[in-house]
Amino acid sequence: MERSPLGLKLPEGMRDLLPNELAALEKLETKALNVCKNWSYQKVLTSGLEYRACLEPDADAEDNLYKFFDQNGHVLVLRPEFTTPIARLVTTRLKNEQFPLRFCYSGDVYRNNAGRYREFRQVGVESIGSGSDLADAEVIALAVEIMRELDIKNFQISLGHNGIFSGLAKEMKFDAKLQKELENGIARKDMVKLESIISQNDLPEAAKELLLALPHLTGQEEVLDKLQNWNNILAIRRAVESLRTIYLYLREFGVKDYITLDLGILRGFSYYTGVIFEGYLPGIGMPVIEGGRYDGLYADFGMNLPATGFAVNLGVMLEQLEEFELETADVLVYGQSPGKVIKRCRELRKAGKKVEMAIDFMTDTDAKNLASSRGIPQVEKIENTRDPR
Amino acid sequence: MAKNFLTIALPKGKLLIDSLRLLRQAGLNCPGVEENSRQLMFELPDSQARLIICRPTDIPTYVEYGAADIGFVGKDTLVEQNQDIAELLDLKFGYCRFVVAMPEENLPPQLADGSYDLRVLNHKRAATKFPRVAQLFFNEQGMQITTIKLHGNVELAPRVGLAEMIVDIVSTGKTLKENRLKEVASIMEATTRLVANRVAYRLKYERIQGLVEILKELVKTN
Repeated sequence: MERSPLGLKLPEGMRDLLPNELAALEKLETKALNVCKNWSYQKVLTSGLEYRACLEPDADAEDNLYKFFDQNGHVLVLRPEFTTPIARLVTTRLKNEQFPLRFCYSGDVYRNNAGRYREFRQVGVESIGSGSDLADAEVIALAVEIMRELDIKNFQISLGHNGIFSGLAKEMKFDAKLQKELENGIARKDMVKLESIISQNDLPEAAKELLLALPHLTGQEEVLDKLQNWNNILAIRRAVESLRTIYLYLREFGVKDYITLDLGILRGFSYYTGVIFEGYLPGIGMPVIEGGRYDGLYADFGMNLPATGFAVNLGVMLEQLEEFELETADVLVYGQSPGKVIKRCRELRKAGKKVEMAIDFMTDTDAKNLASSRGIPQVEKIENTRDPR
Repeated sequence: MAKNFLTIALPKGKLLIDSLRLLRQAGLNCPGVEENSRQLMFELPDSQARLIICRPTDIPTYVEYGAADIGFVGKDTLVEQNQDIAELLDLKFGYCRFVVAMPEENLPPQLADGSYDLRVLNHKRAATKFPRVAQLFFNEQGMQITTIKLHGNVELAPRVGLAEMIVDIVSTGKTLKENRLKEVASIMEATTRLVANRVAYRLKYERIQGLVEILKELVKTN
């Protein structure tokens, strides 16, 4: 039956990939995964559909989920990310493993938000069970190594820490509403709102100063010195010490040149608890890497495990790549006798050649033209001595 | 792309002149922009920058996608579009207010303090170019209102019975008066803002923040 006009379209935010586009994506993916494997991160795959109850997102993210009902009336969602599903996997099936566990993954995630691709390929890693700064440094260095392996230059990883803001909020006993507003202001870089909230609330001078300065504390190690006056708040002191240590390790990993400290990075309403980092590429208006430490997430699943990781958005990087050349066949085989053509093709394939077999009748000119239009370097004609049938 | 090169989005229309004046005061040499009203792109090689002229409502989109690093845009547009961009500075010009307005002959009852009792408007219709702003306001008031999205001349809607009220921006109040409409509630004030793409603000922090500091001083003294 003929399709209606809707049946010829794709849902908003979806795309098909043609052979050359897919080849480019898979090349990126393979390179990225190979780096992960070299660092002893093992690949896992979680299911495409999860119960909504597993993901339990905040109200803002809720709108971005693709939701369905199963036959029992439970709400299902298409996975919007891998971190939470992997937490479910580890806390249900790998409880008794020896930690830390290191996993990597690659797959499509689905986010129903306007403007961007709503289905895109993510490659990422999770390092589960270690709360040490070295674990954070390792995943950050791995992120840099992946970008290098993908031949991407000019990228920058910005590194911040949730503990600075949350430590201040706790010390100053901000009420929930004020904390949320301030966090949102800093996270979204809404300076106008941030300034107006600060001027409307009766906060100690020093706290005002720090809140206004946070979005601008960006640079190399020296930005950490500007937090010296806050040493008396344990959470802030720990955050600064962590960042210093991680920065030191990143120098040892040989990736320091790509790292900028940026204490203004905050991700409001998320599971991140410690170090947070984002990777940027010129010309792409959104972070291509998002990661950090999330020590609270596993507790939600009944196991008290610290964890850290990141995801690279390969889908968005694909747009920036020059077109990638396809691998074509090595030889086109044609002739009038199907039996002989098949036989020859099998021989050649066994010998490791990529072989395209002519299916329909082909003159010598047809064969030559087809080979040149496809970029197949060689044609082989099987002469028809006598058909065995 | 050079690390210091800036693409600046400016809104076509009434905010353009003030935006350009401010940029020039900040030391950006932008010749010929007003004179060539049909040209949409201006290279500024002296300043390592380029200007693009966009419809005001498109500016958040250019900036969110990173096609422009920074932009000048009214807070009214920002609130309505609710895109993920950094709002760096209140430039204080282009002042306007969001209001609810109704035909003079059909106003809600007044309360003791002189304000209008909006509760009688439940389940009525509001014509507006800003359905998001309107809905946020009415939700906050605990009211249920149907918004009707129009693209311009919303003053007409209550005159012909398309809606009982409008939600619109006013600067002087002249248009309301001409259409025999009266403000019954004030929603919020808006001025022009300097906005930036989130990633550009990190990658080109020195350049953008440098400009912010200069503009901040200019706004203070102007």
